[in-house]
Amino acid sequence: MTRSALRIGGLILAILLVGGGALQYHLDNRKSDLELVFTATAGSEPLVFNEYLYENPGGPGRFKVRDFRFYLSNIVLTSAEGDYRETESYHLARFDDDAKSYTVKLPEIPRRNYSKIRFSVGVDEEANLTREWQGDLDPNGKMAWNWEVGYKFVLVEGSLLMGEARKPIVYHVGFSENLRTQSFKIPQNELDTSAAVLAFDVDIMKIFQGSTVLNLSELASVVMKKTDARVVADNYAKMISLKTD
Amino acid sequence: MWQYSPAAIRNFSAPFIFGRFNIPEDNPLTEDAFQLGRKLFYDPRLSGNNQISCSSCHIQALAFTDGRSRAVGVSGVELPFSSMSLSNLLWGPRHFFWNGRSPTLEAQSLLPIQNPDEMDQDLEQLVIELAADPEYEKDFARAYDDVNAENIAKALSTFMRMLISQNSRYDKFLRGELTLTDEEELGRKLFVAHPDVKVSKRGGNCVDCHSQFLTGGFKDAYDGFSNNGLDGEDDLQAGLQAVTGNPDHKGLFKVPTLRNIALTAPYMHDGRLPTLEAVLEHYNGGVIISSTLDPLIVEANNIEITDGTSIGLSLNPKERKAIIAFLHTLTDEDFVSDEKFSNPFEKK
Repeated sequence: MTRSALRIGGLILAILLVGGGALQYHLDNRKSDLELVFTATAGSEPLVFNEYLYENPGGPGRFKVRDFRFYLSNIVLTSAEGDYRETESYHLARFDDDAKSYTVKLPEIPRRNYSKIRFSVGVDEEANLTREWQGDLDPNGKMAWNWEVGYKFVLVEGSLLMGEARKPIVYHVGFSENLRTQSFKIPQNELDTSAAVLAFDVDIMKIFQGSTVLNLSELASVVMKKTDARVVADNYAKMISLKTD
Repeated sequence: MWQYSPAAIRNFSAPFIFGRFNIPEDNPLTEDAFQLGRKLFYDPRLSGNNQISCSSCHIQALAFTDGRSRAVGVSGVELPFSSMSLSNLLWGPRHFFWNGRSPTLEAQSLLPIQNPDEMDQDLEQLVIELAADPEYEKDFARAYDDVNAENIAKALSTFMRMLISQNSRYDKFLRGELTLTDEEELGRKLFVAHPDVKVSKRGGNCVDCHSQFLTGGFKDAYDGFSNNGLDGEDDLQAGLQAVTGNPDHKGLFKVPTLRNIALTAPYMHDGRLPTLEAVLEHYNGGVIISSTLDPLIVEANNIEITDGTSIGLSLNPKERKAIIAFLHTLTDEDFVSDEKFSNPFEKK
């Protein structure tokens, strides 16, 4: 081998080393744009607002929904290489757009083979009883009661129709103890791409028909009574499901 | 080449509890724009007959209202609506006027100038008149560039954005500088409470529509609009429906700020209620049912309803008086006497 061939060989080796290092570096710093899309449903069908379409699960009459929203918080993605925690992770999910869906965008998160996602419905106690502005927490917004009581976690407003009689439905459910966390397994490699979407259904009927089946004519409003709020929280604890195709 | 660039407004502060706000990128807050806006706000040349200015219906001592049920402008014809108080417009809904038809202050500010029943001024004519005044030419050049309608709107908007009321007794209470009287404190507690007879929790339910700190309507989407039961089905006006086309928005009007409310009688969008006592009577038992009546008003009551017909808060006289006492803590004497918001043509 001539000296020049050696030199060229060395150069190629150097390029491979540097290039490989760069590739490794590149792999470690790859980012992924993740979208979480939440679609409001009533049972398996998309939620329709302002029409008396829905049976009172535990009693007579049909009801309509004029407003449905909730706080989604503290999103965490888990992987063997480490967790990703969104900062100021407080999102007000509302569904009054045409698509009846709400999207959380997590731009440029570390790209990993995440195996699990978890988040809460509600606001953790530390944030719940402050006047601070974080994420979508808005002390002057519709979800705020006042700083001494905290936020409504889940809000459903509507009306129950029984014959000719109408009864307002007001579910303003909060209190720190009613934070509920859900966790979902993510199919292997699903998120190991540069842009991924996880789609969830939010079934409003589960709020009234979960571990307890509620009669809306008897329990038309849930606001300040703690035992009622807890029953509803145990129901909404399972209102979100991950869509798998 | 040296170019004059207007200075940003100094010492501009606002309580953090008011929350985040947006200022349009193409209309930054500057001292020159504010001073120009202030002049325009008080200048009767903005009207067709040169006799009415913005300040004719938005009087500082009355928290920028006019004390009338319904506003009267150049034509002498009563408008359908009451002059709205101007304060803390940086926060709250981005939908201006009682029916929310204007998406920005810039768009809003030119409409009363042109309305034949308000100021009845032709915009082109106004620009000609103002451009002929060397003082104004100088003011516009410093704040923006030319005298034109867009810059008139921008300057008026800057003036209105700076109308910040933040020094009422309630603000001082929130800052920990004073304690409220027992009656005011009872009123405050009722103000921020949704009543729930199931747990004997008494409430005035005000906070279901009027936010706890700003005391105006909520800012997201159309959350800041409500049908508060003034009219029955047959008398419902279009309200927000005129803007959205949504029949569920019929009869919904903008929830106004309650800051300085003791100074802004008469009340409601058409000024039909003369006093705060009358307002409390309305919410206490005078609510009229219609299809778009706010369900939070229907539902909120301090007594168990058995017949399904009674709508109202059913507060006792002491509680109603306490809420009114609390509403008086929202009066900000500094705001209504602050010289920087006053008429610049009246030399003190």
